[in-house]
Amino acid sequence: MNLKLQRILFSLIVLTWAAVMLYFYSSGRIGKYLAPDFRPLALYGGLGLAVMGLFVLLTANESASCGHDHSEGDPHDHEASEMHPLTSVCFMLVPLLFASFSTKDGFSVQALSRKALFDAPLSNSVFLSADLPPLTLEEIQKTHRKNEAGFYEFNLMELYFAVGDPELQKLINGMKVETEGRLVMEKENNADGKRRRLYRLFITCCAADARAVPIILDFGEGNVPSIEENAWVKVSGIVTFPVERGATQVVLDTASCEPKEAPWEESFMRNY
Amino acid sequence: MTGEARQDFAFAFLSILFEGAPFILLGTLISGFIDIYMPPGMMDRFLPRNKTLAVIISGLLGAVFPVCECAVVPVIRRLVRKGLPVSCALTYMLAAPIVNPITALSTWKAFSGPVMFINGESIAANVVMTTGRMGLGLAVAVLLGLVVARIPIAWVLRKRLLDDIQNNAIATQKSHDDHACCGHDHTHSHDACGHDHSHDMAPAGGTRLVAAFRSAIKDFVDVGVYFSIGVAITALFNTGIAPGASWLDSLANRQVIAPAALMALAFILSLCSTSDAFIAATLDKFTYGAKLAFLVFGPMLDLKLLFLYQTVLRRKFILWMALGLFVTIGAAAVYFQWFLNQQTLP
Repeated sequence: MNLKLQRILFSLIVLTWAAVMLYFYSSGRIGKYLAPDFRPLALYGGLGLAVMGLFVLLTANESASCGHDHSEGDPHDHEASEMHPLTSVCFMLVPLLFASFSTKDGFSVQALSRKALFDAPLSNSVFLSADLPPLTLEEIQKTHRKNEAGFYEFNLMELYFAVGDPELQKLINGMKVETEGRLVMEKENNADGKRRRLYRLFITCCAADARAVPIILDFGEGNVPSIEENAWVKVSGIVTFPVERGATQVVLDTASCEPKEAPWEESFMRNY
Repeated sequence: MTGEARQDFAFAFLSILFEGAPFILLGTLISGFIDIYMPPGMMDRFLPRNKTLAVIISGLLGAVFPVCECAVVPVIRRLVRKGLPVSCALTYMLAAPIVNPITALSTWKAFSGPVMFINGESIAANVVMTTGRMGLGLAVAVLLGLVVARIPIAWVLRKRLLDDIQNNAIATQKSHDDHACCGHDHTHSHDACGHDHSHDMAPAGGTRLVAAFRSAIKDFVDVGVYFSIGVAITALFNTGIAPGASWLDSLANRQVIAPAALMALAFILSLCSTSDAFIAATLDKFTYGAKLAFLVFGPMLDLKLLFLYQTVLRRKFILWMALGLFVTIGAAAVYFQWFLNQQTLP
């Protein structure tokens, strides 16, 4: 293939990558894919690719020289690609376009089951120790807003990581709390079908490294709400920490559960 | 692939791609500009005459001339032909993709967040992983360079390249007999003088800029192909669609097998060192030790490098080098994880 055509093809590949990245950024969908501090990088990357692609496309016909010696048996070529340009087009564009048109900006429950959705809570919380509230009941009550019904608003992650902090666990055991997340069916220890699992995703860098942070909702004698799988809900109830299946679990004896709008972004908390 | 599986794959694929692409762009832009603007003999000038010191400095040159592993092979091929000692060239070849600011930045970003406890102190995982990767990469590259400095060059280089070097040396000696203008020591190679011996007129800046962007876009596409394939395979494993995903997960907690498995994965995926940390960070079932093995072994030896190395090195040497890298990095990763496991929480 002649060099001019190769330059045009490479420019088009790069411009396609740029267009996809800039589209996802400008539409706000990037929030589902990357943690907040990676999103500007996607913008700069998309802009950089656009500049490089356009520059090479617009100068494809110009002659250029690297300015150094190509003699002495070293006929190196700054544009000689490792594979045929059409092969490069296939490998770089087919998966990207396929993924761009197939994505629904989220994982299925099946994929989330590989990301700790149904695992027992981690038994140590030093991972987030810096973010935990001071360990007196008074301080906990002071740092969490109380709603009109008398439930303290807790972040789901605080409830989840209380499993690894016996002191905090003791203080909030039996407390009336309110939290939010996505609702899925509980798989284990749910013969009467009264249990559900509430989770949110914890993202370090990108969605692929996301980890589910789940707690159990137990509706007990109450009615189980008919809410579609994976929908966002706000729940309130009494938090307890029973030992089940050999591990301490976070169970919310649920008083109420109502649908709510999805928050603007998935990554609700990072560990710093 | 079911509809759900297709969406899971697409979601994971795009998230890793969006995360890694800016770093590949940065790496290939720098490498493209170095390719065009760096004079051939420039690296020679940084190296001391002492062999051991020269090997160590070669391992650190990546910090000044950052190139990824795909770009480094043609560079060292050229430098070896121009008279750079083979031990220094191989040290640079193995270290430069790891000991460079772009790789450091991407590793730092990829592991930002989690905290480790070492000697009772909490240390950010990105500090440990970035310094661990740089340190181990440099140590292994220098070790190999020191070994190569003590074995005959004929065991290392391809016969054709060896012949070229010998012919160049004869031609250089002959040329220097007639070339008395430089006024400095010519025991080193002819092109290490620091001036251009091509005697061509320097091109206009604009045409050089065009050449630099063309070299950069070519590098981006070459690396992007392997990156796309790597991201696709990773997304399949990440979402459990790949047939061996459960089997791979089952190896994750095995002290010796896990680093070996991830080194094998790094070999197959052939990722660019500027973006592989983002893949490693998604292998959340594996230990940090196994991830370190992935991050150090991958840029030194993978499927594509196996082919590229054959343009410079003898096959037998490549085989021994591969074995040495696998065992050394594997042992270091096992020790690293053992060390982390000994740490107690405060």
